[in-house]
Amino acid sequence: MFHCDVVDVTKNKITLEKAQAFIESHKCGASLFFIGTVRDNNNDKTVTGITYDSHDGMVKKSFEEIFDEANKTLQLQHPVAFVEHAKGYVPLGGISVVIAVACKHRAQVYEFSRYIIEEIKKRTPIWKKEHYINEETSWLDGKKIEAK
Amino acid sequence: MKIKIELFGAARDFANDNILELKIENQTNIKGIRENLLQWLQKKHPNNSTYSNIVKNSAFCDENNEIVHDDYLVSKEQKLCIIPPIGGG
Repeated sequence: MFHCDVVDVTKNKITLEKAQAFIESHKCGASLFFIGTVRDNNNDKTVTGITYDSHDGMVKKSFEEIFDEANKTLQLQHPVAFVEHAKGYVPLGGISVVIAVACKHRAQVYEFSRYIIEEIKKRTPIWKKEHYINEETSWLDGKKIEAK
Repeated sequence: MKIKIELFGAARDFANDNILELKIENQTNIKGIRENLLQWLQKKHPNNSTYSNIVKNSAFCDENNEIVHDDYLVSKEQKLCIIPPIGGG
């Protein structure tokens, strides 16, 4: 079972309650939540928030591919995952991404969660514009995407 | 013919609108579109190396949400998206 979405945070919220409700399963004995939040400092600059931009169609496709790959590569038993990423302005401390996973046994949820976030960082078309205390902003450098 | 290029990430700063329109020859490949976009930028933002580096390091995706190779030929009026280097999460 898999749910993913890009959440326009000017209209909706990413909530842990929704993630918890989705991953609950009597077949799973372990669940794990990864929560990405906006921190206050990057490259010696005081960060007040981040605006996330997203190519929604590619992002959802990428999330689905990552889930399928994780399932095959890690040979997961009863995998369940909930992935939501923010789009729009997220203030300091706000949630940028939630990855909630559940599996039959505990060892797999750690691998599963880690696999998803690392692959998102490598290939999912999401961009960050940091906002600083002096009201300056800067798009962060990223990783070039190549055609398959 | 005309094609549309939707802007994402740092490329959104190229224009106030999120979509650019470029005039290209029929059967132009992505490499040619990149050149065309660089020429557009030179007129709109002369000698802005930050912007030209974004274009040089970007991929392009088609209407099926697939990243296309540099030799992909554009033979109809369509929308492409510019995908600058990514870094979410």
